[in-house]
Amino acid sequence: MASTQVLKLRIRSVKNTKQITKAMQLVAASKMRRAQETAKASAPYTLAARKLLTALSRHTTTSNHPLFVIKPVQNRLIIVIASDKGLAGAYNSSVVKMYAEQLQIDDKSGIKNQSITIGRKASQFATKIKGTNIIGSYEDLPDRPEGLEFSTILETARNKFISGEVDAVDIIFTEFVSSIKQDVKAVRVLPAGFVATDKSEYTDESAYEPSANAVLDGIAYRLIGAQIFQALLEARASEHSMRMLAMKNASDNATDLIDDLTLAMNKARQGAITQELAEISGGVEALNE
Amino acid sequence: MNFKLVTLLGVKIDQEVYEVIIPTPEGEIAVYPSHEHLVSLAVPGAITIRYSKDDSDDKLEHLAISGGVVEILHKSVKVLVDEAIHSDEIIEAESQAALDRAIELRKNAANQIELDKAYQMVDRHQVRLKVAQLRRRHRS
Repeated sequence: MASTQVLKLRIRSVKNTKQITKAMQLVAASKMRRAQETAKASAPYTLAARKLLTALSRHTTTSNHPLFVIKPVQNRLIIVIASDKGLAGAYNSSVVKMYAEQLQIDDKSGIKNQSITIGRKASQFATKIKGTNIIGSYEDLPDRPEGLEFSTILETARNKFISGEVDAVDIIFTEFVSSIKQDVKAVRVLPAGFVATDKSEYTDESAYEPSANAVLDGIAYRLIGAQIFQALLEARASEHSMRMLAMKNASDNATDLIDDLTLAMNKARQGAITQELAEISGGVEALNE
Repeated sequence: MNFKLVTLLGVKIDQEVYEVIIPTPEGEIAVYPSHEHLVSLAVPGAITIRYSKDDSDDKLEHLAISGGVVEILHKSVKVLVDEAIHSDEIIEAESQAALDRAIELRKNAANQIELDKAYQMVDRHQVRLKVAQLRRRHRS
């Protein structure tokens, strides 16, 4: 049995760890709440853009527009969103697993791919895999992206798609369903899908400046941007909520461990006392004889 | 008429106004109630709002916007932009410093990503400075 001194030291170290995990849990909880609110904020933007697109589709066809053209996929661009820091449970490993699966699928069907990684963990993993072509990696994005941070990603994706360098752009991120459920998803952002919404109060007599096509271009671009932005925000909310859960489990485990160790320490101490008493009474007996 | 400014971070403005000036690729357009129906693009620049007909120029409000889409109907104007910032929230010295940094970065960019970012930073802070100057001009 370990000595009480050693047990005491261990209890102190576990207590310290518990303090840290508890603090991380609280920080993650408050960050998650903020991220959750921001994740909802872009909904009106997307809806308004969709409505405009529906109205526009009566004036000009989307099928000929370069951003909507569906081509057989021979090259594709994958955008992977993971986190910069670890200690978030299965967050990064699930994203990376999905990414590896996608790469395998491409490998089997002879599709070439390029990747953009967001988050240090994603780029660390991607650089380890043989044959991946990483064209950009973004790290340390702020919790509340303002638009500028992701627009270089959007710009790259659009330019590559329009120039025909890639035939599809997919994004791998963790969808935030609720604070206890998050799903890793691979979503196609380009070619842009057209989702008809209900008719707005829009009338057909509108003029389009400079032209219907130019406006369509602007809206399609913004919709794709909103999709990437949304993915970033949801990934962030998922990260914080998974970190919160992981840290909660760690704190709980630390509490259990402290209980066990305290019990062991008490037993050891009691054992030492009993032994000492036995020795004393043994000594007294010996003197009396 | 109702003016709605929607950004990626939510609805920034949703209220009754008298006049809105919006930067478009074909120049600035001033929109008054009963404007003809129009859908156009917005370019990075300043949106100027006059809330009531009798407001003098020093009561005008300015916002710096990035590019976006504008939908004008008889009774409403909707502007969709990636980001918008109110002139009161712009700190001129900060924007100037950021602009200088961005110009520096544009010169020394190590790769395409940095270069793209530098160009966008330059655009963004040039617009912000312009809006801050507009505010100063109208209020002094």
